[in-house]
Amino acid sequence: MVGTIPTTSATGGRRSRGPRGFALAFALPMPVWQTLFFVAALLFLIVMTFWSVRNFRVEPDFTMANWVKMLSAGYFQDTYFRTVWYAALAALVASLIAFPCAYGMAFKLSPSFQRIVASSLILPYFTSYLVRAYSWKILLTENGVINGVLGYVNLGPFAMTSNLFAVLVGYMTLILPIVILLQYFSLAHVDRRLIEAAHNLRCGALRTVIQVVIPSARTGLILAATFAFILSFGDFVSPSFLGNNKPPTLSILMVDAVKSGSQWPRAAVVAITMVATLLLVAFLAMAFAYGRKAESR
Amino acid sequence: MMSGRLVTLALRTYLALALLLVFAPIITSFIYSFDADKYAAFPWGGFSTRWYGEALADPDVAKGFHNTIIVAVTSALIATAIGFATAYTDYRYRFFGKNAYLALALLPPTIPAIILGLAMLVFLSRVGLSGALHSIIICHVVYSIPFAMALIRLRLGQMDRDLEAAAWNLGASEWHALREVVLPFTLPAILAALFLAMAVSFDEYAIAWFVSGFSETLPVRILMLLQREVSPKVNAIGSLVFIVSMTLVLVAQVMLVMRAPSQAAANGPRQGAGRG
Amino acid sequence: MIHTTPRGRRSVTRRGFIKGSAAAIGLTATSGAWAQSGDKVVSLLSWPGHGAQDVIGDFEKATGIKVQAKEYTGGEEMMALLQSSPPGTYDVVLSDAEYVIQLQQAGLITELDAGAYPLDDYWPEFQQFPAQYVDGKLFAIVVDYGFLGLVYNSSVLSREEVDSYAILSSEKVKGKVGMYDWYLPNMMCLSLANGNRPPHDIDGAKFEAVKQSLFALAPEMSGIGVWSSVFSQLTNKESLVMPGVGAWAALLLEQGGVPIKAVVPKEGGLQWTEMLAISATSQKQDLAVQLVQYLTSPEGQVKEATKSAYWASIPNKAGWKLLNEQNPKAAESLEHRLDKRNVMDEFKEGKIFIRDVPKQQSIEVWNEAWTEFKNM
Repeated sequence: MVGTIPTTSATGGRRSRGPRGFALAFALPMPVWQTLFFVAALLFLIVMTFWSVRNFRVEPDFTMANWVKMLSAGYFQDTYFRTVWYAALAALVASLIAFPCAYGMAFKLSPSFQRIVASSLILPYFTSYLVRAYSWKILLTENGVINGVLGYVNLGPFAMTSNLFAVLVGYMTLILPIVILLQYFSLAHVDRRLIEAAHNLRCGALRTVIQVVIPSARTGLILAATFAFILSFGDFVSPSFLGNNKPPTLSILMVDAVKSGSQWPRAAVVAITMVATLLLVAFLAMAFAYGRKAESR
Repeated sequence: MMSGRLVTLALRTYLALALLLVFAPIITSFIYSFDADKYAAFPWGGFSTRWYGEALADPDVAKGFHNTIIVAVTSALIATAIGFATAYTDYRYRFFGKNAYLALALLPPTIPAIILGLAMLVFLSRVGLSGALHSIIICHVVYSIPFAMALIRLRLGQMDRDLEAAAWNLGASEWHALREVVLPFTLPAILAALFLAMAVSFDEYAIAWFVSGFSETLPVRILMLLQREVSPKVNAIGSLVFIVSMTLVLVAQVMLVMRAPSQAAANGPRQGAGRG
Repeated sequence: MIHTTPRGRRSVTRRGFIKGSAAAIGLTATSGAWAQSGDKVVSLLSWPGHGAQDVIGDFEKATGIKVQAKEYTGGEEMMALLQSSPPGTYDVVLSDAEYVIQLQQAGLITELDAGAYPLDDYWPEFQQFPAQYVDGKLFAIVVDYGFLGLVYNSSVLSREEVDSYAILSSEKVKGKVGMYDWYLPNMMCLSLANGNRPPHDIDGAKFEAVKQSLFALAPEMSGIGVWSSVFSQLTNKESLVMPGVGAWAALLLEQGGVPIKAVVPKEGGLQWTEMLAISATSQKQDLAVQLVQYLTSPEGQVKEATKSAYWASIPNKAGWKLLNEQNPKAAESLEHRLDKRNVMDEFKEGKIFIRDVPKQQSIEVWNEAWTEFKNM
């Protein structure tokens, strides 16, 4: 494998006339943009969790009441673990459904077909997610299209809304294309000679996939699952439109807090808890993705 | 051999089925955009182009579409440029506080949009930047950077580090090596990042509602049409937008193939495996 | 549905649109585009539908004032937007009655000059409508309203069956009860069903009983959702009956060919009320007054009653008269006939209670019960 040469800023420094300029030109835009336009908003959110609501107005304060209130509420704890479970399940299901797709794209399609499929995976995002979720309802309800068709062959009706299945279908609408794409980008690179070598060693097709393909594409696969987790964890549309708000997820709980007489600080508590959870998940995933890869060398 | 072909066929069929799953709601929405019944149910209520007529005649829809294009294109360009720079920094340099640096890029999509929208409004209105299209652009760049960065970083990870080093050894400046080696190699990912960032912006309504004042975008309009009246115009709007974007992507594909077939193939992800 | 947009008017807005787009090309110019000093522009923050051409088109044409509408999807978002936007962004605010007191307490709206509006033309019940006043001062004025009780699928359930909220726990609709995702109308209807009058002013024990009635419905539910979800549930027979929803929704669905009807059950119903107020920081008080005057005038009231987003009852008696002359069919389906039984009779019979926030408990106590219910 490649990547054995540690390329650091020192290496770069020796090679150019304006070394720091070059490095900074790439390193700085993101922190500058985020500091100018995002950090303040984020800090405001954190600070707001200690504020209180008087006369339906959010006012500066320093109170732990919002944190205590939310974290000790039974419904919050239930909802928290439910949301983690839903998002993990969505990430797992999406990864499993996506892998054969990404594999097929990377290894069994011509380059021009690959490009066409890759672009058509981005296309759905150009139609509103709200409209897509709304359409699933027509397909999934008891008197909907799918049960209608199944009815002709004397099957069903199956309950496909207002339950975990419906919420998962909604999550897939949101994340499946991105997961396929990210997996595809990582699989497309897997060195063909490694696979050939495995074949030459009379390694079975399935074993090649498990022992050669998946380890080489590990970073991308984990990255894809992480994105899937993040997006489903914070999604409001699927649990609301397709799960019919019952049982709720954290994003629904947040909207509920707002409806409790403009309790934005409590909504912020929910939001910050979500951010902390997702950061933790993201770093664990990245450590897993990069760390284990280094070990395996 | 036989089993290999079977596997290929099975994988392709599976891929087609997965695409069908992804497109099922869009196809449904398309079919029901021609439904004569106002409220969609099974079976279909007969053919009508009434909703298209209403959608096209609605000045708010036209205005929203126009605003959305401006916001999506601008924010995608900025987010992709910043995403590329960030991905390249992560790829090439090691420095103190890198985790915090990456967290800063990754954070925005982890914050639920509805409350991020309020926080952005509070901040932007304080510095006099709220209530216009540029307010949405600012927020959508913040939101899209991680998507762009992830795609490009993934591609960079596949680049042989020796390639860039070889260019330096041949006397190329860092900028020159970047333009001649890194950029061409990451081009497919950059294009994908552009499209993905555009798509993220095209679908975002919660932040846009808060910060935009009276400059309404299409997703916000759709959200409003789904209140109260629950207008079937949304199916027609969704289908129109889909057809337009699909046409653009197809045209781009055809142009790419026509312009430089060999180069396009070289840029395909299948190539460029490590040669170290 | 009625779409009264004549060609001429549309082309005016299109020209405006082109002008606006030209400004939008230069991005920074857009912020100025809606604040150009010479133009007469008044801004309206409202639920969807009120700022549409079919409501304010004639006003714009007659006065040369351009109405710039921002629509919202929830009272709290509306309050947050008002508080966080630069002062003077919004001139006129349309809000539900229960938020008027919140808006007033937060100092977001200003006192109105009672003499400037056609309150004398209003039905007596609406001239002294309590939510309009804070400490005897007029802060908001009713623009439209409607009743909430039960909506039901009339192909499955008969009018007699839905004469009581008891239908919600009947075997016939098991697993087919739907609700709009807001604690207030649902819990108030259940409070009515428990015999509490008024339904929002109840002591701890009665509140506990309402909570139990709500929790008992958990196994009956098919879904709780936003409006598009509610409409889809009713259309697809996922839900056969819903409490806390009113005629406005039933009328839309019925006009769309779905057999949904609304009824105020014998235990009583609620009234939702939309009111107009003027922002405390508005720099264009005179234009704001003109817009409120128009929307409460007979002409504006007819537009409000039959707006394409949703039909509604109107408080102005002169507006009723005009509606009966111009659109007798709409007057019929809205029960606004002056010569026969109409919505004001239901009002007079004491069956209708104003939807209002809980009095003896805090909003949050009720809402938490609602969250718990969804969690069941």
